[in-house]
Amino acid sequence: MTAPNRLPDRLLPLQAAILEQINAHHIDVPMLPEVAGKVVRLTQDVDSDASELATLIQSDQTLAAHVMRIANSALYSPNSSLVSLQQASARLGMKLISEIALAASINSSLFNTPGYEEHIQYEIRCSLMTGLWAKEIARVSRRNVEAAFITGLLHAIGRPIAVQTALKVAAESNTTLDTAEVLALEDKFQRQIGVQVVEQWEMPRLVVDVVRFFDCYNDAGAARNQTMIAIAAEAFTHHFMSEQGDNNCISREELVSQVVLAELNLYRDEVLELLEKQDLVKSAMEAMTA
Amino acid sequence: MSNNNQYDMLIVGSGPAGQKAALHAAQSGSRVALIEKTRELGGSCVHRGTIPSKTLRENALRVKNMRMNAELANFELPEDVELATLINRLNDVLLAHDTYMRRQLERSSVELIHGRARFISSTEIEVITVAGEKFSLTGECIVIACGSHPHHPDNIAIDHEHLFDSDSVLSMMYLPKSLIVLGGGVIASEYASIFQALGVEVTMIDKYPLPLGFLDSDLTETFVNGFKHMGGTWLGETVVTRAYWNGFDAVIAETEDGRQIKGEKLLCAAGRIANVKELGIENANLKLNDRGLISVDENLQTNILGIYAAGDVIGPPSLASASMEQGRRAACNALDMPPGIMHNIIPTGIYSIPELSSVGLSETQAREQYGRVLVGVARFDEIARGQISGIQNGMLKIVCDPAGKKVLGVMIVGEGATELIHIGQMALLSDARVDLFVESIFNFPTLAEAYRAAALDIVHQRKKL
Repeated sequence: MTAPNRLPDRLLPLQAAILEQINAHHIDVPMLPEVAGKVVRLTQDVDSDASELATLIQSDQTLAAHVMRIANSALYSPNSSLVSLQQASARLGMKLISEIALAASINSSLFNTPGYEEHIQYEIRCSLMTGLWAKEIARVSRRNVEAAFITGLLHAIGRPIAVQTALKVAAESNTTLDTAEVLALEDKFQRQIGVQVVEQWEMPRLVVDVVRFFDCYNDAGAARNQTMIAIAAEAFTHHFMSEQGDNNCISREELVSQVVLAELNLYRDEVLELLEKQDLVKSAMEAMTA
Repeated sequence: MSNNNQYDMLIVGSGPAGQKAALHAAQSGSRVALIEKTRELGGSCVHRGTIPSKTLRENALRVKNMRMNAELANFELPEDVELATLINRLNDVLLAHDTYMRRQLERSSVELIHGRARFISSTEIEVITVAGEKFSLTGECIVIACGSHPHHPDNIAIDHEHLFDSDSVLSMMYLPKSLIVLGGGVIASEYASIFQALGVEVTMIDKYPLPLGFLDSDLTETFVNGFKHMGGTWLGETVVTRAYWNGFDAVIAETEDGRQIKGEKLLCAAGRIANVKELGIENANLKLNDRGLISVDENLQTNILGIYAAGDVIGPPSLASASMEQGRRAACNALDMPPGIMHNIIPTGIYSIPELSSVGLSETQAREQYGRVLVGVARFDEIARGQISGIQNGMLKIVCDPAGKKVLGVMIVGEGATELIHIGQMALLSDARVDLFVESIFNFPTLAEAYRAAALDIVHQRKKL
């Protein structure tokens, strides 16, 4: 799907209303019903494997982040900042994590994006793949692998929520939006919403900075390398997931020549070696989205 | 880069050895190119090893001291503190260091080339840039100073996420609850004790009975006792057969005797190997020795005329200080300049908690060489400064010849050891008698007084000869 370059003037009031929602911190973070259902089933199954649950939670950026947010709440982790599901499980125990996941899936509202379900699904898959590629890029660069996954996974957390918010505000103001306009609104507000979401979830500063400076990594200070990893990972995702003709489609040669990879000091042969991890990433994707 | 690709000296690697070689050669009027694979100057020493770990150590010491003085301040390190917080000044330190180095090299007209070097012949090097461009440079002489990287044993599944090497351990997002450290060398001892001081439950595992086997056992026992006193676990004479992430919540280290040791994270510090994988040394008719290093003669020249090597790539002592001197001397020898006297009296500093440092011969080495030797010991808890500072785990040892006069070596364990050692180094370099320490007046109260106390111990023994 492709967004137009410019939004029509008739949508100015709508944009102002979305901004108001952002500034008033009235953005909902829903969860996917499918995964939520799986979590419920898994936690009620006495024979279920705890690692299965962790994998499942990790497969969904919104659920994973939701679990992290609750795990980081004062109730469960006073004075602490949990940054990964692994850490959360080590610290709180899997039983509690299951309960948190269950509570999260029961108490969260669902995405309400009529007509855009496929688009949202695609974006969530892209985010998961970005997280997985970020891990591999971080591994090669000897950077923070753990942070790479979560920053890759959450770098575009604002997108589905921006679509939902745009549709909600449009409905409230009786404004009709076509697909291109919805996508343009998503593009316009996703970064602001994303930053706000990770800030509200009290994610570590590094995660917040990666989301905030994703479009300008040179301003990211200490988070520069981690931001570049997430950007590079997104490029890998665009190469493997975008279809010919999409705006985001990146050919193999374009991918290898990405400036951000050179900035990470990854030589061409190292990038080609990374590309060989395609099957590994694909398998992980399948495992997490099965 | 200049169009003229002919240089007096080509240097591969910008670590301590490469830098010093480049500066020395350039300042003597030679045309020098310094080829560095990464964007940053300084090599692993600056970016992944020495400087980052010492930055972490500073904060670990602060935490340890604040805990020791709980009655002064009710201090508690927050759970899950981010590692970035503990190396908070690192970026500033690295930036300052990089700026300083860059300026110094540019001022000396050293040409900096960012790219990967590969030998074409014994006088020609091909450089591949990160963007994939290629060009070649020739040099009258070449200094290989490309450093080393951590060795990854086949049975340790290092993934830089749960199982780390010493290059990646500081990329951890948060301070783990527990850490398994494999190895008993300098890096293992430093990180194990630093993390333990930060409150991480550290289990250090090695196949030898004590860590830091090149030091006398009384020093290493003092180190181990200090480590245990902080709450660490030392498992000596334990062979790890396999270590892996269990896929869910723990790293498992399996031992030969059937134990399974669990930890949240693992650091493997199993030695370092030369960074020559991409260098194509065979094209220059060079090859690695059986230790995976480049062999050099006393002039730091390889078996190929005009090709020199310095720093970690030639093996021990693998100290930044020694590497700098090797780099300087390699440049001198390559350019037929007198390098001056090469002092083999280089101190060894281990930045663990507590610190260890030695210079000259250890007691063990001295006994092998001289038979009976006299040894004087001073314990820091018997010195006023040690009592004031609460330094319980510390000692200074002077080793003398059989007559009890000539100083052969000094070994120190305890906070401040790496600074304190230089007094012993100067004594060795000036061939001083042990009596110098007895006759000298030291500031009071200082740890330096331990020299006097240890020297007196030898003088008393000497009287009984």
